[in-house]
Amino acid sequence: MERSEVLKQFKPDHENMLNILHALQNNNSQNYLSEEDLKIAASYLNTTYSHIYGVATYYTMFSLKPRGKYIIRVCNSPVCNMENSTKVIEEIKKNLSIEVGETTDDMRFTLELSECLGKCEEAPGMMINEDVVGNLDNVDFKSIFDNYN
Amino acid sequence: MIQEKRITLKNLGKINPESIDDYINEGGYKAFEKAVGLHHIEIIDEMVKSSLRGRGGAGFSAGLKEKFTSEACLRCEQKYLICNADEGEPGTFKDRIIMENDPHLMLEGMLIAAYAIGASKAYVYIRGEYYKSIDRINKAISAAKEKGIIGKNVFGSAFSVDVEIKLGAGSYLCGEELTLLESLEGKRGYPRIKPPFPAEKGLNGKPTLINNVETLATIPAIIYNGPEWYTSLGTEDSPGTKIFTISGDINNPGYFEVEMGVTLRQLIYELGGGIKDGKKFYAAILGGAAGTFVNESVLDTPMGFDTLKEKGAVLGSGAIMVMSEGRSLFDITNSILEFFKHESCGKCVPCRIGMPQLLHIMENLKNNKIGRVEALDLLLYESEFMAKSSLCPLGQSPILPIKSLKQYFENEF
Amino acid sequence: MEKVNVIIDGLNLIAKSGKTILDVATENGIYIPNLCHHPDLIPTGNCRMCMVEVEGRRGQIIACKTPVEDNMIIRTESQDISLIRQTTLELIHSNHIQDCTNCHNNNQCKLQEVTAYVGVNEKRLNSLRRTKPLIEKDESNPFFTLDHNKCITCGICIRTCNEVQGTNALDYGYRGFETVVSTFGNRSIKESVCESCGECVVRCPVGALYPKDEKLPTREVKSVCVYCGVGCNIYFGIRDNKLVSARGDRDSIVNKGRLCVKGRFGFNFVNHPERLTKPLIKKNGEFTEADWEEALDLVAKKFASSKGDKFATLSSAKVPNEDNYVIQKFTRAVMGTNTVDHCARLCHAPTVAGLVQSFGSGAMTNSIDEFTNAATIFSIGSNTTAAHPIIGLHIKEAKRRGAKIIVANPKEIDLCRFADIHLQQLPGTDVVLLMGMMKVIVDEKLEDSGFIKNRCEDYDDFIESLNKFDLDTCEKITRVPKEKIVEAARLYATNKPSSLIFAMGITQHSHGTDNVLAISNLAQLTGSVGKESSGVNPLRGQNNVQGACDMGALPNVYPGYQKVTVPEIQEKFEKYWDVELNADIGLTHTEIFDQIEKGQIKSLYQVGENPVLSEADANHVKKVLDKLDFFVVQDIFFTETAKYADVILPATSFAEKEGTFTNTERRVQRVRKLVDPPGEARDDWQITCGIAKKLGATGFEFNSAEEIMDEINEVAPIYGGIKYNRIEELGLQWPCLDKNHPGTKFLHKDKFSRPGGKGRFFPISYKASAELPDKEYPLILTTDRSLYHFHTSTMSRRVKGLELLNEEELLLINPRDADKLNLKNEELVTVKSRRGAVRVKTNITEICPKGVVSLTFHFHETPTNELTICAIDPVSKIPETKVCAIKIEKTDHNIK
Repeated sequence: MERSEVLKQFKPDHENMLNILHALQNNNSQNYLSEEDLKIAASYLNTTYSHIYGVATYYTMFSLKPRGKYIIRVCNSPVCNMENSTKVIEEIKKNLSIEVGETTDDMRFTLELSECLGKCEEAPGMMINEDVVGNLDNVDFKSIFDNYN
Repeated sequence: MIQEKRITLKNLGKINPESIDDYINEGGYKAFEKAVGLHHIEIIDEMVKSSLRGRGGAGFSAGLKEKFTSEACLRCEQKYLICNADEGEPGTFKDRIIMENDPHLMLEGMLIAAYAIGASKAYVYIRGEYYKSIDRINKAISAAKEKGIIGKNVFGSAFSVDVEIKLGAGSYLCGEELTLLESLEGKRGYPRIKPPFPAEKGLNGKPTLINNVETLATIPAIIYNGPEWYTSLGTEDSPGTKIFTISGDINNPGYFEVEMGVTLRQLIYELGGGIKDGKKFYAAILGGAAGTFVNESVLDTPMGFDTLKEKGAVLGSGAIMVMSEGRSLFDITNSILEFFKHESCGKCVPCRIGMPQLLHIMENLKNNKIGRVEALDLLLYESEFMAKSSLCPLGQSPILPIKSLKQYFENEF
Repeated sequence: MEKVNVIIDGLNLIAKSGKTILDVATENGIYIPNLCHHPDLIPTGNCRMCMVEVEGRRGQIIACKTPVEDNMIIRTESQDISLIRQTTLELIHSNHIQDCTNCHNNNQCKLQEVTAYVGVNEKRLNSLRRTKPLIEKDESNPFFTLDHNKCITCGICIRTCNEVQGTNALDYGYRGFETVVSTFGNRSIKESVCESCGECVVRCPVGALYPKDEKLPTREVKSVCVYCGVGCNIYFGIRDNKLVSARGDRDSIVNKGRLCVKGRFGFNFVNHPERLTKPLIKKNGEFTEADWEEALDLVAKKFASSKGDKFATLSSAKVPNEDNYVIQKFTRAVMGTNTVDHCARLCHAPTVAGLVQSFGSGAMTNSIDEFTNAATIFSIGSNTTAAHPIIGLHIKEAKRRGAKIIVANPKEIDLCRFADIHLQQLPGTDVVLLMGMMKVIVDEKLEDSGFIKNRCEDYDDFIESLNKFDLDTCEKITRVPKEKIVEAARLYATNKPSSLIFAMGITQHSHGTDNVLAISNLAQLTGSVGKESSGVNPLRGQNNVQGACDMGALPNVYPGYQKVTVPEIQEKFEKYWDVELNADIGLTHTEIFDQIEKGQIKSLYQVGENPVLSEADANHVKKVLDKLDFFVVQDIFFTETAKYADVILPATSFAEKEGTFTNTERRVQRVRKLVDPPGEARDDWQITCGIAKKLGATGFEFNSAEEIMDEINEVAPIYGGIKYNRIEELGLQWPCLDKNHPGTKFLHKDKFSRPGGKGRFFPISYKASAELPDKEYPLILTTDRSLYHFHTSTMSRRVKGLELLNEEELLLINPRDADKLNLKNEELVTVKSRRGAVRVKTNITEICPKGVVSLTFHFHETPTNELTICAIDPVSKIPETKVCAIKIEKTDHNIK
């Protein structure tokens, strides 16, 4: 979608700042906020570039560099940490051959850490884009990732 | 054997959360209809009488908060009601359960609160990662608009209201009500300094009431059944029910809505199915990361805001993280402090630089550069200082787990 | 304001309610340590250093955010407070590079100051993890460095950039421990929208932002900025006879401590090696150094043979009042002619011509300080933030206080960011826009009939002339949507006090006087003149263009706007100067060049001007200068015009002389000698007096600039009471009739200064610009200014940093025009008019509307005025430098 089409869905009120940034990021084929995205949002909301940059870098769900099609967010909060999320992270790293914050060469997956995803009853857990996957103690990550093309 | 008492979870599993008709068939929106037939001061009176305490963690009287916002300025063009759905306290998922399973109940609570304070605009500020909840609430709002429950002159009254959903984007601190306002205004999640309180100057400088999802979801039942019914539940200082979310070394982790006054022992052994692998109870963290460690001496303390306070513990969000024997308090403390460091906004000095220094102490302990006693004392000194000097509740949080560690596990840390 | 009683540390104090504890303590000399506080900025309370205890309140609270209340009992010290402060300070130090002896801010550092007061516990500090210096310094800005490693993230720079400057180049980026002060994209300062004003550098409490080439001065002297007409007060630092620093005077009502990039960093030209140091005489086409005797003898000899109609003087809007006074006196009393003019002709001649007719005085009616209290500010034809940056700040401040801003400008100038309404009229159609607004006001009965009835005349004729300006016609001619015209008219007429600002965009037209009259009509129609924060405000361009006019460096008036044609006045001056004077009005700037061309004027005496670059149709000017028998240039640099001179006389710059400048708000301010002049350079008045004496004249025996001012006091009533001893601190605004007169904050309070005291309406019709686009020359060229340069850049381009920030001319052109011509960004093109051609690179931007391109005239390599047209406003004789027709050709790269 053209950026202007994305913006049209929202009134140019500052209350819509985060909604707009989410929408622009979702609309970006590389799952991130490009400088162009930020500039157009700033103009639309009548705010300054430096302000919107400050906002975009503050919130962890926004990325300012290109990311994969699927974003894996592994919960690393106390409960999941207690249930060995560290091991989960290591296994995913090995499986995808990337470090945390990196994207696979085929631009399919980006690995990120997340604070508590509220899936503590199934710790350790993670999200792959909008899907929540829990009970990761003993799973075959390859078969999970194969579902995401 | 203790039984659940479901108020906010009453429709859970009984209705299709995406069907407004299901909700209405279960008596939904009756309380709202009743409410708009009353004077808004009557609603506030009922709320004050119910003694409902905010379920976000702080436990302030929901009725008084409504009262202050309602009285803040009589001629204001605009007031706001905000549902704080930015659930992020580690170990807490009660709001998610409500939003995913009964979004209309929360919405009904919002509408009643909005009417009570005279807000024509209501927002749901929700965690960006809660995709399913977002979807459910969006659908619920649309359905309620279609039915005329949200809109102009609802139920033939003079009251008109609009509800919109606003997404968070990954910041624990934005769940703090003043920071939430900043975020909603399109800014970085930097906390504001009180006063002024949101009741006087909230969103866009206008009187604003901010309530947690669980608090709001409790309102319809109170309005429908009356405050006396509500105060008959729970304890004197903490009436009503509470959703506890239990995780960790427990056979049956999950959520349980029970009357206040329940004991930790009942929650763990009767509802939670006991400790995993038949092990012994060692410790629990009550209230999340910004919560407190307790040992077995608290197992039989009735859960309530004030009763726990007497024990140097907090009820907080109702999160209970259970640890069995053999667990390392160091690891969990380290994880909690990492969490705080990650979520520190960086605005004020004590929190921005203090958080990494707390971890530095942990690192020194790990590397045997300092001993346990010294480490705990240093942690206590720093976190106490941070509690006194930080700008917002985040910097004031590490003292909670650390002080309780000192109190309950001084020799085992 | 209500008063409250508070007790701080046992002292009973009375304070204004609403003030914070920190403010009250500071006012009463009680120190509360703080790092993120600055009196100009909204407190944020993030350093947590100003903790105090208040009786009855739990724990500690921060003084900078807590308002005092009646009977508050405050303690600034306790064991707890002291421990909290110490621990906070230890954290800051753990995260701060301990590099004090190498630090630019050593001994001026607020962190050092607080540390000295609070102290740290060495043992605790040593147990903390130390942050290592990791981030490279940002050296991209020519004037200052940003060293993140020393930053304490107090946010003062960010707040300054937003709240003081309104530029918003900086904000916090990232979060938590990783928080940094960041530009958009976390790029270097130079790549950001930073305007290099240096306000953040001044306020940085530590050594994170520091000036590059500044040294600590031996002494400081207060003087006035020499760039634009705002007249900012500056403390100049001097060391080893050089200017080494500049800081704004916080007590000055004009700039309140603030400065723009030129005002803060633009004074290196004073120390420049190319300064003229000896008189130069052209012999056989070559300039050779001469001594003063020889040079003055030659000048006197030549001048002696070209008195009267054969002689002309171009005085200078850059030199002080005293110099201007002497120069015009010399021209009139010694050379026997009134032909003395200066560059005001090229900027605000229509303002004087117009406003004198309608109000009786051509100056700004209000004070700069009054803008901040206006409810509506209407800026038309003024690129305020670039040309008058500090007045730009006053407008931004007004906006922050809730004022509505209307900007009328063909281009989307920077000020539009702050505008509630932007009217983007086509260049040259201002009369139509203004009359359209007035028709709306009259049709909707929004006029101030009381004001019109009691204070104005000739209303009926004017009303009749409005009929032609129906909204459809206005929209068609101006291209401004009629709804916007209506909206602006209503706002200006109803949201009072309304203040109007204008500049060259109004005046530099062949119908410039009509534009000004239209403005005065609008102000009278709505009663928006003659009141505080409400009036008509022409922003004067040069530092002393107001003063040069006041001093009578004009062909039709003696000092103090006393007409040369009035016999009583002539008599007065003849008596005072003890000479016979010429009763004929002299020639104007543009007429002087015509008469040189015709062979009438043989000798030209030119002080501090550069017409080869500044005059419209500059090629014509060059040809004309060649025709002179004798041409004297008195200047500080060898300018583009100096090449044509026969004698060049080295003058002192503003930094080397005493005197006064009169700023755009009629404020006469003291200019002080800062350093010794280079070589044999002399003050302008001394040089002119020298010539006069060689010619045997008397009345030029001045010993100091102050003696000249004493004479001005005697002859120019509006300057009657302006004595040096009265303007040491603040300056005085004329009219100031005698030594007890307080000066005049705003004009026309109870009556206008026209004879009879009434304001006058004028019927106006629309006259199109002289040269409109056609098939051959399809685009309109308009001219503008850059923030980084001044006029023909004689001074500003000799400041390396300013040159780096704006190295070359760029032709601003709309993307649609660029597409049509198949132009790329930064492509070298040839801009041609019927009079000349200039080669320049493109800057494709939405700032210019379709059909309009824009250039400055700051660069001698690309002399814009070789393109402009010398079509003259019949009343004021100003040339039309704001509109001419041009075409753009792609440049053949083979031709160099």
